[in-house]
Amino acid sequence: MSILARLFGRGDPHSLAAPYALDALEPDERRQFEKHLRGCDRCAEEVRAMTEDAVRLAWSTVAQPPLAMRDRVLAAVRQTPQEPGPLREHVREPQAREYTPRLPAHVWGTQPQASRARAPQRRPFFVPFATATATAALVVASLFAVQANQTQDKLNAEQAQSREIAHVLAAPDARATTGADSAGRSIGVIASASEGRAVVTLSGYGAPPSGRVRQLWLMRPDVQPRSLGLFKDDTPLVTTGLDKTATSLAVTVEPDGGSAQPTTQPVVQLALKSVGFGE
Amino acid sequence: MGRVRSKSGGRVEADELLVQVAAGDQRAFEELYGLVSGPVFGLVRRVVRDPAQSEEVSQEVLLEMWRSAARFDPGRGSALSWVLTLAHRRAVDRVRSARAAGEREQREARRSHHPAFDQVTEEVEAGLERQLVRRCLDRLTALQRQSVTLAYYDGYTYREVAERLSLPLGTVKTRMRDGLTRLRDCLGGVA
Repeated sequence: MSILARLFGRGDPHSLAAPYALDALEPDERRQFEKHLRGCDRCAEEVRAMTEDAVRLAWSTVAQPPLAMRDRVLAAVRQTPQEPGPLREHVREPQAREYTPRLPAHVWGTQPQASRARAPQRRPFFVPFATATATAALVVASLFAVQANQTQDKLNAEQAQSREIAHVLAAPDARATTGADSAGRSIGVIASASEGRAVVTLSGYGAPPSGRVRQLWLMRPDVQPRSLGLFKDDTPLVTTGLDKTATSLAVTVEPDGGSAQPTTQPVVQLALKSVGFGE
Repeated sequence: MGRVRSKSGGRVEADELLVQVAAGDQRAFEELYGLVSGPVFGLVRRVVRDPAQSEEVSQEVLLEMWRSAARFDPGRGSALSWVLTLAHRRAVDRVRSARAAGEREQREARRSHHPAFDQVTEEVEAGLERQLVRRCLDRLTALQRQSVTLAYYDGYTYREVAERLSLPLGTVKTRMRDGLTRLRDCLGGVA
């Protein structure tokens, strides 16, 4: 190692354990150090201990979050699918071993293991909405790590969708509402009026009859319903371009491929006033 | 919720709840929210400072706790550490991109009105732990303390810390390491 490198403090990667535990590395260094960690059990152990130390610094910062945050988070949780957890389910299978993160506290759970070759490029951190998109990208990248058998297309679609959901959630005026019928079936929406975007979920409806699809409509006063798309399985539908005059959403059952206008009575309808529309 | 909230009991309980959350249990999530939302929000706000952005980042962190709960392994640490580690990294990412976007000066101006531990309005009772952390931070040398707090509470990289304190990089790394080690000794091993 050159004297220059030493002078700049890049010498011993072990010396980066403390800055790493404090999240005080720049992205490039962070990546390099994580690479180093994978081959260095001793450092991994050290980083894990230091991360626990660092976390204790958080104990002096506890503060009561705004009450409205709880409602928003819980509403979002009701509409957000979880990452599957094959890590534990398959833990006894021999090949599951290589997917089990051996990484220290700081890395496991927050950072997917170096991708099984197909992980997407990490997104840059310093862009608008960096946190939202980085969050989505990390979540999705971790799916790659554990679901190597998924098709690329499906994962690409999930990634795009996670990004959309994170985008809606990150809007300052994002609000959520749900409606349920007497049978316990429900429709949920997280919407941002300023962005004209919404994420819509159906639950409890099961598969539509064969040859039929469920179609989502935007209802506005004195205007024909506008199609917002077709539901596929349980996947939330992300819609854009909603204008402020929108009063409600409706779902109808239509022939495969959808219809230009609704041909049946709505199976469910949800007013959008409480999420900032209908002005 | 009629549950005992002793200090250590709270942490064990959080571990169990997070495991239930990983199995898709929304009620467990609600309960876990009650245990971790204060620490998460407090930490994020300490780093990010702007109230609206802090709320946004906290929401993302808590939603991520739901989505990726299956990645939590109780054998490797506590649920609270897991989620706070996640929260800290997200908060730091946010504050750095905000700084890069030029809000830095505004933030600096606000900071000058904040003494190191000036914590905001409605705080929940974490009094003992808070005092303990403060007391232990007081026992560090000034450079150890500044190196650790500028990084952890203010989200500066160690290069930025070195610049602000006019110290060589190697010295800052050593101060950070020594500072964390001394903190551990002072706080005791109860994690």
